[in-house]
Amino acid sequence: MEYKVEAHRIMSISLGKIYNSRVQRGGIKLHKNLLVSLVLRSARQVYLSDYYSGACLNAQSEREGNEWDITDSEREKFPPSATECDRVESTEEPQPNEQPEKEREYRENDDEVKSDQVDCTSTLQEQNQNSSLDSVAKVSSETPPESITEPKESPSDSAVAERDSTPEANGESHQPPKPYVCSNRKRSAEESESGDSPQKRTKVASSNAKEDEEAEEMDTSNVSNLITIFGSSFSGLLSKESAKPEAEAEDSGQICCDQMLKNLNPWSTAIVAF
Amino acid sequence: MGEDSESPKINHSFLRDYVTEEDLLATGDKGGRVVIFQRETESKGESEELGESGEYNVYSTFQSHEPDFDYLKSLEIEEKINKIRWLPHQNAAHFLLSTNDKTIKLWKVSERDKRPEGYNLKDEEGRIKDISTVTSLRVPVLKPTDLMVEVRPRRIFANGHTYHVNSISVNSDDETYLSADDLRINMWHLDITDRSFNIVDIKPANMEDLTEVITAAEFHPQHCHLFVYSSSKGTLRLCDMRESALCDKHSKIFEEPEDPGNRSFFSEIVSSVSDVKFSHSGRYLLTRDYLTVKVWDLNMEKGPVETYQVHEYLRSKLCSLYENDCIFDKFECVWNSTDSVIMTGAYNSFFRMFDRETGRGVTLEAWRENSKPRAVLRTRHVYTGGRRRRGDVGVDSLDFTKKILHMAWHPAENIIAIATCNGVMQ
Repeated sequence: MEYKVEAHRIMSISLGKIYNSRVQRGGIKLHKNLLVSLVLRSARQVYLSDYYSGACLNAQSEREGNEWDITDSEREKFPPSATECDRVESTEEPQPNEQPEKEREYRENDDEVKSDQVDCTSTLQEQNQNSSLDSVAKVSSETPPESITEPKESPSDSAVAERDSTPEANGESHQPPKPYVCSNRKRSAEESESGDSPQKRTKVASSNAKEDEEAEEMDTSNVSNLITIFGSSFSGLLSKESAKPEAEAEDSGQICCDQMLKNLNPWSTAIVAF
Repeated sequence: MGEDSESPKINHSFLRDYVTEEDLLATGDKGGRVVIFQRETESKGESEELGESGEYNVYSTFQSHEPDFDYLKSLEIEEKINKIRWLPHQNAAHFLLSTNDKTIKLWKVSERDKRPEGYNLKDEEGRIKDISTVTSLRVPVLKPTDLMVEVRPRRIFANGHTYHVNSISVNSDDETYLSADDLRINMWHLDITDRSFNIVDIKPANMEDLTEVITAAEFHPQHCHLFVYSSSKGTLRLCDMRESALCDKHSKIFEEPEDPGNRSFFSEIVSSVSDVKFSHSGRYLLTRDYLTVKVWDLNMEKGPVETYQVHEYLRSKLCSLYENDCIFDKFECVWNSTDSVIMTGAYNSFFRMFDRETGRGVTLEAWRENSKPRAVLRTRHVYTGGRRRRGDVGVDSLDFTKKILHMAWHPAENIIAIATCNGVMQ
């Protein structure tokens, strides 16, 4: 666990550095920003991998294997029926690099999953946290059990619960884990461990299509949520970043995590403009 | 000798002048100023007693760079001097190159100790005389006067770099020099300011694919076609300009595989090379990364021949050093004149010297109070475990604001110059 906390802390610090470098005299220092972004990615990978090893007992490797296959095309794969966790991934906005996290659906055993009916919505893209939350809320409305978690998700703080569930849900890719995951999700949702939520955020935030989020089957409502997310404008990096350094609370942490991808993006665009 | 205490960052470069046997040391600071020190000679009569002569005094001060503004990108350009290099001495004047983030300037430092007197058309104060008052003609005579040091800009090499210039290096052919920024290296002719040749370009087509940047570059001391550049990934690339016009493809690449046991979040930062120097012989390369200095043999690419730990006790503290930005400090490293000793800086005003023959290192402290030349510096030790001796400094009590980043070693004698936070010491 401490790895996650450590990784999360390092990510927050890195994002703060990237933000501060924009206002520094003399322009953006390419070398330092490159190093900071490398640290950011390392921390994120640790954060995500840590999460998985903790959440998924089995099929971890399988799951990760699947997750790495996330591509844009998966977007279209959303199954009409909502089962396990629905992950709403909002792609970072205008990043050519970032592959929008699409929910992956694992159709393995929808039936089993259905029983659990936990919606995991993980916003991969923090782009617009609120919008993702909204979408999550929408998704949750579909499944009663999820509603428990959904409302929690609302503004960043409550997202913790949701996130918690999401990561766990994400962790699983196959049948057996699913029920397990679902139950975990529920538990986590109830527990709302703050520590977990940042992790989850981080995971979601992974921008380079390395996310392990495994997409559970997606609902059509999720699809619409995605559209909402994509359509939502990316609130300025500055505003988010400024919120980030100031907030020490988990939610801010979550926001920060969510911002991770975004931050990488702005940095990249800054570099390109450079 | 003291520098302005408001300018903590100082760059050094030594010049040993073999013609007039002058010793000049140039330092640049954050405010864009360059100060040149000259070593006093003991006495004029006897031949120079190397190592015996006196202190360095301020010889000249001038403002090299001013703050600038890039209107196209709306970016301020700092006037901070990044590097200074002397040119090989050719005549009575000395030339040095100084650079900030964007512009390189060639300065001529000359002395004037005579002035003409007895002009026909001007009086003593320089006012034009009324022609009707001139009754006779005479030839102006040169009379000795107080020594005046004049520093004038002779060339300005501008608009060559999009990114921040981090290195300049004068070639052994005495005609060209290179300047390196984060992604490109340009070669200039000292007499031509409106044109430069791009010899290395590592900018990717898509900036988002960027993985490494150039951190330092230097020409070989004897072979004018060879140069080396270091990267943020810890690799060194030796390039031969005879192979192609654009030396993106290296002739040799020197890299050491990473030790998996030391892997951490900060492995990439710690392995980034901050300085690279050829040995005087041209056979070896000295590199400095955050925790070590390494000596590489040009003939062996697979790893360094010697590795010295500068402050290994900081490895467990990398996270807090990352937080306070100290992990990004760029330390320099230097050879001594015979390539037998290498030196680099550390924190708490400590600097380290390593004797290559014995492999041993010593930690010395740069004390402001010991301003006498040739005063024996105290050997210090950082306590990392085991029996603690009196005078040992604990790792947690190191002062990370007192960092020794810049230093220079006299090319012929055992005189070193170290920049501390508010002064220059020899």
